[in-house]
Amino acid sequence: MAAATFEKGIAFVLAIIVGGTTSFQLYKDWASTGLDNQVTKLLLGLMAFGCILVLLACFGILGAG
Amino acid sequence: MAVSSLNSTHEAVHARYQEVDSLYRETRDIRLLGFVLFLVSDVVLFSMFIFAYLYLRNSVPNWPPINKDGVQLPRFDLAFACINSCVLFGSGATMHFAMESWKHLKKADFNLWMIATIVLGVMFLGGQAYEYNHVPLTWAGSTMGGSFFTLTGMHGFHVFIGVIYLITLFIQANRGVYTGSKYFGLTAGTLYWHFVDVIWVALFYLFYLL
Repeated sequence: MAAATFEKGIAFVLAIIVGGTTSFQLYKDWASTGLDNQVTKLLLGLMAFGCILVLLACFGILGAG
Repeated sequence: MAVSSLNSTHEAVHARYQEVDSLYRETRDIRLLGFVLFLVSDVVLFSMFIFAYLYLRNSVPNWPPINKDGVQLPRFDLAFACINSCVLFGSGATMHFAMESWKHLKKADFNLWMIATIVLGVMFLGGQAYEYNHVPLTWAGSTMGGSFFTLTGMHGFHVFIGVIYLITLFIQANRGVYTGSKYFGLTAGTLYWHFVDVIWVALFYLFYLL
C-alpha cells in the first residue's frame, strides 16, 4: 500500500511536469498552420489529456487499486 | 567568353536548385498526406481490437472476470501504470523539443532531445516487460489476459518499431540527410511517436481506469 502511494506520488510529479510542458507547447504552437502542425496540435492535446487522466488516477478519482 | 560560360553554369545550377526545391515542396505535401492516412489506418486497427475488448468486457457480468479455474482476477497495478504512462508522455514532449530544435537549427539540442526520447522509449518498453512478468494473467487463461496482452503487445510492438525508427532518424540527421528546410523524415517520425503516445492514452484508460 505504501509502495503504491509512493509510486502515485512519483506519477503525480511526472504528470504535472509533462502535462504542464505539453500544454505550454500546445499554447505556443496554437497559431501554427499546415497539416503536420494541426495533427501535432491534436496529438499534443490528447497527450495533455492523458496527463490529466494520470492526475485523476493519482487522486483516486478514476480507477481502483 | 569565360565569364559568360560561368554565368550560364550558375544560372543552370540555380534553375536546377529551384526545380529540386519545388519538387520537394510538392511531394512533401503528398507524402505528409500519405503518412497521416497511414496513421488513420493504424487508428482503425487499434479501434477494432479495442471494440473487441469492450464487447468481451460487456459480455460478462463482472469485470475483472472469474477465470476458468473459478478464481476472481485482480485489477492491474494502477500506480505503476501511471509512472510508465508519464514516461511515455514525457518521451512525446522530448520528441517535440527535438523537432523544435531542428527547426531552429540547434543541432546539439536536437541530439540531446532525441537521445532523451529514445531512452524514455526504451524505459517504457522495460516497464512493460516488467509488468508482463508480474501480472497474474496469461494470454490463454482468460478474456482479460487475452485482451490485455493482445492490445498492449500490439502497442508495445509499435513503440519498439518507433524506437528503431528514431534511432535511424538520429543517425540520418547526423549524417546530413536532412537540412534546415528539408526534414520530412523527422516530421513523420515526430507524428508517429506522438501517435504512439496517444494510443497509450486510450489503452491506459481502458485497462487501468475503466
